[in-house]
Amino acid sequence: MGQPPALTDAELVQRCREGDPDAWAELVNRFSRYVYAVCVKGFRLGDEDAEDVFQEVFTRVYTRLDTLRDDAAVRPWIAQLTRRLCLDTLASGSREQPSDIELTPEQERTLEELDEAFDVREALAVLPEPCQEILDRFFARDQSYRTISAELDLPSGTIASRIARCLRKLRDELEGRSGPSEGSRE
Amino acid sequence: MPNYLEVQLDDLLGRFAASGQVAAGSAAALTVAVAAGLAAMVARASRDSWEDAGGVAAQAISLQERAAWLIREDADAWQEAFAALGGTGERHTAQRNFELEQKLERAAAVPLEIGELGATVAELAALAGEFGEGPVRADAVAAAALAAGATRAVAHLVEVNLGVREGDKRLAQARASEQAALEAVERALESAR
Repeated sequence: MGQPPALTDAELVQRCREGDPDAWAELVNRFSRYVYAVCVKGFRLGDEDAEDVFQEVFTRVYTRLDTLRDDAAVRPWIAQLTRRLCLDTLASGSREQPSDIELTPEQERTLEELDEAFDVREALAVLPEPCQEILDRFFARDQSYRTISAELDLPSGTIASRIARCLRKLRDELEGRSGPSEGSRE
Repeated sequence: MPNYLEVQLDDLLGRFAASGQVAAGSAAALTVAVAAGLAAMVARASRDSWEDAGGVAAQAISLQERAAWLIREDADAWQEAFAALGGTGERHTAQRNFELEQKLERAAAVPLEIGELGATVAELAALAGEFGEGPVRADAVAAAALAAGATRAVAHLVEVNLGVREGDKRLAQARASEQAALEAVERALESAR
């Protein structure tokens, strides 16, 4: 409890444009795990290549943020940048052009799952703290109703309904989010 | 070790009938997985009349996935313990006893987890029995009873595998799961009357 509400992506980008160093740190923090997961799990890059792509992505975000047309579209923009740089990296290690590289269906599925996971994580972050807590305990930590009941001092018979209500809030949050956006002018 | 999520039902049933492959803990986990599936079915069939149905179905599916994973976990643990019990070798007796104890601990830890999961599924199924739509409520009550039966079974396994005595906290945990599941079944039956 007591945490200030998280900035939206658009608000965060606006603060970055204004030169707020804390906002830059928050932007990297917000997207770093996503970028790294796309490199390693989606494109299966090795640690060194993934690190290079990671650095290059955030360097370009820093130097080209002014080219982003819709501040709310920073995530699809970063996703696009990351994928392009991963393909460049894969192509540099072979004789193929980046456009010739085809991902396996499994890799495509992994990338979709990473996007979904990121959406859920972002939506979770704006739910009330008790909802974040109970959903994390049940779905991420695999705790039983008895354990949740004991640790949160809640009646055991109410846990399932509480989780269901929090899931409704999460669904509403996910459905309320804007659809695909335009990205940058690049 | 096969992936039990990919074997055919007749193959799986044959493995239960064969010696040294899967045992009662896996059977209990499978029962919990089936019960969770029934709870999900009842919730999905009740979306029009029950506001929480979607959230209950999501929980049931998550519980079913955990239970399915425990089928194999228990089979692994049980086979290791079974092999260790029959082992001889030249190792020092104290070392062998220590390793055997570790394996038996694990063989009991998985059923404990299955028991916790069974109690959770029984509670969820009882809720589905209370708020689900009429035609499928009986399936929810049956699901609660199946899950409770599994928790009863694993409490017995914990007791026997560890040779524990009254007062042992693992046995207390297994019995608490069993009690919670039984109470859930009673609630489910009461709401069905």
